[in-house]
Amino acid sequence: MSPSNVLPRAVARFLLLPIGMIAVALFVKGLSSTGDGFVAGTVAALGIVLQDVVFGHREAERLLPVRRAPLVAAVGLGLGLAIAFAPLLFGDPVLTHLPPAEEKVTKLGTLELATSVAFDAAVFLTVFGVVVGIVRELAWAAEREDEE
Amino acid sequence: MEPQTRTEPDERAPFVVSDSAARRRDGAGAEAGPLGPFPPAAALAATLAALAFAAILYAWLRGGGSIDLPWAPTLGLRLHFRLDALGALYALLATGIGAAVFLYSGRYLRLHLASDGRPARDERSFYAFMLLFAVSMVGLATAQDLLLLFVFWDLTAIASYFLIGFDRHETASWSGALMALLVTGITAVALLVGSVILFVAHGTFSLPEIIAHARPGTTLTVAAALIAVAGLAKSAQVPFHFWLPNAMVAPTPVSAYLHSAAMVAAGVLLIGRTYPLLAQSQLVLDGMLVVGLASMLTGGLIALTRERLKQVLAYSTVAQYGYMVALYGLGGAAGAVGGAFFVAAHALAKSALFMVSGAVTQASDGEERLGRLGGRWRTMPIVAVAGALAAAALAGLPLTVGFFKDELLFKAALKRGPLVTALVAAGPVLTLAYIGRFWGRIFLGRPRQAPTGPGSPPATLVAPIAVLALLSLAFGLWIAPLESLAGAVGSVSLAGKPAGISLAYYLDARATNLIALGVYALGGLLLATYRHWLPVAQGFARVALRFGPERAYVSSLRQANRLSSALHRVEVRDLRRRVAWVLVPCGVLVAAGLLATPTVGQYAIGKLGVGDAPLAILLALAAAAALAATVPRSQLVLVLVLSASGYSLAAVFALFGAPDVALVAVLVETLFALLFVAVFSLLPDDVLRREQSLSVSHSRRWRDPLVGVVSGFFALAVVWGTLSSPVPSDRRVAERLIDLAPAAHGKDVVTAILSDFRALDTLAEVTVLVIALAGVAGALTRRRSR
Amino acid sequence: MTLLVSLVVATIFGSGCYLLLKGDLFRVVAGTVLISNAAVLTLIAAGFTRGAAPIRPFPQGSQVSDPLVQALALTALIIGFGVTALLLTVAFRVYASSRTVDLDQLSRMEASREDELEETED
Repeated sequence: MSPSNVLPRAVARFLLLPIGMIAVALFVKGLSSTGDGFVAGTVAALGIVLQDVVFGHREAERLLPVRRAPLVAAVGLGLGLAIAFAPLLFGDPVLTHLPPAEEKVTKLGTLELATSVAFDAAVFLTVFGVVVGIVRELAWAAEREDEE
Repeated sequence: MEPQTRTEPDERAPFVVSDSAARRRDGAGAEAGPLGPFPPAAALAATLAALAFAAILYAWLRGGGSIDLPWAPTLGLRLHFRLDALGALYALLATGIGAAVFLYSGRYLRLHLASDGRPARDERSFYAFMLLFAVSMVGLATAQDLLLLFVFWDLTAIASYFLIGFDRHETASWSGALMALLVTGITAVALLVGSVILFVAHGTFSLPEIIAHARPGTTLTVAAALIAVAGLAKSAQVPFHFWLPNAMVAPTPVSAYLHSAAMVAAGVLLIGRTYPLLAQSQLVLDGMLVVGLASMLTGGLIALTRERLKQVLAYSTVAQYGYMVALYGLGGAAGAVGGAFFVAAHALAKSALFMVSGAVTQASDGEERLGRLGGRWRTMPIVAVAGALAAAALAGLPLTVGFFKDELLFKAALKRGPLVTALVAAGPVLTLAYIGRFWGRIFLGRPRQAPTGPGSPPATLVAPIAVLALLSLAFGLWIAPLESLAGAVGSVSLAGKPAGISLAYYLDARATNLIALGVYALGGLLLATYRHWLPVAQGFARVALRFGPERAYVSSLRQANRLSSALHRVEVRDLRRRVAWVLVPCGVLVAAGLLATPTVGQYAIGKLGVGDAPLAILLALAAAAALAATVPRSQLVLVLVLSASGYSLAAVFALFGAPDVALVAVLVETLFALLFVAVFSLLPDDVLRREQSLSVSHSRRWRDPLVGVVSGFFALAVVWGTLSSPVPSDRRVAERLIDLAPAAHGKDVVTAILSDFRALDTLAEVTVLVIALAGVAGALTRRRSR
Repeated sequence: MTLLVSLVVATIFGSGCYLLLKGDLFRVVAGTVLISNAAVLTLIAAGFTRGAAPIRPFPQGSQVSDPLVQALALTALIIGFGVTALLLTVAFRVYASSRTVDLDQLSRMEASREDELEETED
């Protein structure tokens, strides 16, 4: 580890938590203020990508429990499809969200717990997985280019 | 790919199945292998077909029935099937002859595959497509909806493609299959167009309703003519007949089924089904009569000259379906009943004859030329007798079912005067001659070449022939069941009017009997003096084959190929030319639109206050950065300038009151920059530098900026015009969404739209992202494996 | 304001078209980015409103921006991201298999390869 790398590494490590918090905040505040699953997912992914850039993707992949980004994306898409098509089982049109408009919702701070939040979470997971996945694929490709 | 077709059947070409060369190559296996247990696939298929036959017969005897389910209710489409007499006749033929053919295929196909050195499991696709064909035929026979009819019509074409091209290793095989598919598939479009014309005129695709409402007129004539064209092409009528002889490359069971009882019958089925419409136009009827007569004479004359067994039968089929089309063209009760009766009589005889040719060929070591056969009655007496019965039925001799088909033909023709009668009578004369020659050359005389094959065919090859031939005889002696069925079919074709045709032998000097006697005499004379006029017929055949419509087919296929490669050369190779092919027509269309719409007063400049200064500055910055992106040679600078433009736009969005979009734009721009840099870092420096120093050709130096400026002006014209004239009602959608947002438990209306009101969009967008990831991973990992 | 926005859209679109015709594959990708930016700006401007962000509670008396076009613009941006990522990778693939991103050279190579193929077929 060369000395010139110490500062960026420390900063990157330090920034991971705030970035994660911002992502969560953007997600939670999504329905009541600016932000939604996509924005939150991208911010979180950029946090991971920052680690990749600073530490190199091999070390970053070791340090962070995000090994299989495409899997996360697939889970997200699966969740989204499930939420979209589950209402069909109860005879409702596709993407009928619960609870219905008039009913009270359980609130968690400003977050109103409706199925649309779960749908947003699916978007979050997908976007996160896709962005991290694409960057990692490029990183691997770069490594193979170097080997040749 | 070069279209491979044959203008004249070459004596030596591997034209028909089970060529002797292949057999010699694999001779040992051919004799030892296939005579194991009867193939279970064939047994299953035959059982299924027989059960379906029994079920249809039972249902028909109980008075038919119908199924009517909604298909696409908004379009008024229904899955409407009815087992009326017409449906029953063709469904019974398709399943009954299907069962016989499946039984026949069991052994035949094993021998066929073994002689080609192919594994026995290849037969599975054969049975699958044969069953698909049978099901499509039953669907076609019973469908009461024009669009449904079209679907089954095309299904039969697809199944026939795979069946005719069953010997996929032979060029002739797949080119024959392609020809059948193209000719029947392209003409099927005529059926679709005709159906749509009728739909537009009557607001429904339902045939009974259209028939109830149709009145004679130009629209009906055009629609009827189009439908008739599709039917004529499927029935291999002049000038579309050429696909049929070329389809003889199929294994014999396929020919015995498709080219006697099923595929060609589908054409006549369509004519019979839509006959109440066709009959309202004398023009269409006359056209059908002419086409039928032409096919009858052309097919008959060429059949006389052919050497190969299946070629004789193929041209005979062209001629025989010519009778049926002519019968429908002659019109009236005799025509409508005759057409239906003829189909049944011909199917029995012709499929038996096809099977005879297959059995003879199999038993003679693949020999299929008339000149090399002969004297086969010694080794296969049952086949000889059955073949004689079938040939007699085809030639219309008394005591067979064929007698009545000719009687109906003469009866219908007599109403049109002596000339038509004479022309029509020429058909049976030729039939008698060519089928007599066919049978005599195979079974009589001395063997012109000693039989080298197994000698006698296995029982499962003989049994179906015998059954079909006996049926031809039985119906000739006891005509009542077929008479009543054909009569009922005729009344379907006559839109419910009873046909009132009775068939029986009358031993008196009535006109039809006299004509029949004349036909026998002339036919016998032709057969006896065969050698003397053969050159005349051969000359006709040569001319017909050389200058026939097949030539047009081949050359149009070749032209299409040439056009396609020329287009490929021009358009596909260069990405920029391809872009230009998109941009230029777009520009022309936009320009035409601008010229066509009044522009005075349509453009508003809009207000620009002092408070808008930050927005104006940011907009100008975005535009300037975009313009700057066209200048730099270094890729890194390009990315930076691109980002500058993107970030400026994000700020613009924020000022436009769209914070969500602004946020996403910032993030997406960041990702773009990251991706561009990442990809550039993958490329070696020298490549990047080389790209930077690329010189632009002189013509392009002026052309590209010009294209940019012109497209910019068009964008200006369109966008300015759009933005200048806001539609007030659009606002209501926005207000409604804003009002509804609390119902979706959201305060941010945009998020509510994305996750609730228009969540399907979001779902699609997320799917696109995952697909992009899969594409990226695929593009990069394939590199890994190399 | 209308004219200004239209001019900006036209400039971005024109620059994008110009880049699209360049010989370098990456510039082609950059061109598509610009064209999609122009489209997004048009969408947002087509809301015909400039007002407060469509987030409750709205400030008294002022107009609210059209949320629908914003949602559409968001979808467009995100799909644009996916497509650009894919295009970049494909451009890289092209480089990796042919060692060039110059379109003139690529079309020459493809032409010669095709001729070879046709010769072997004959």
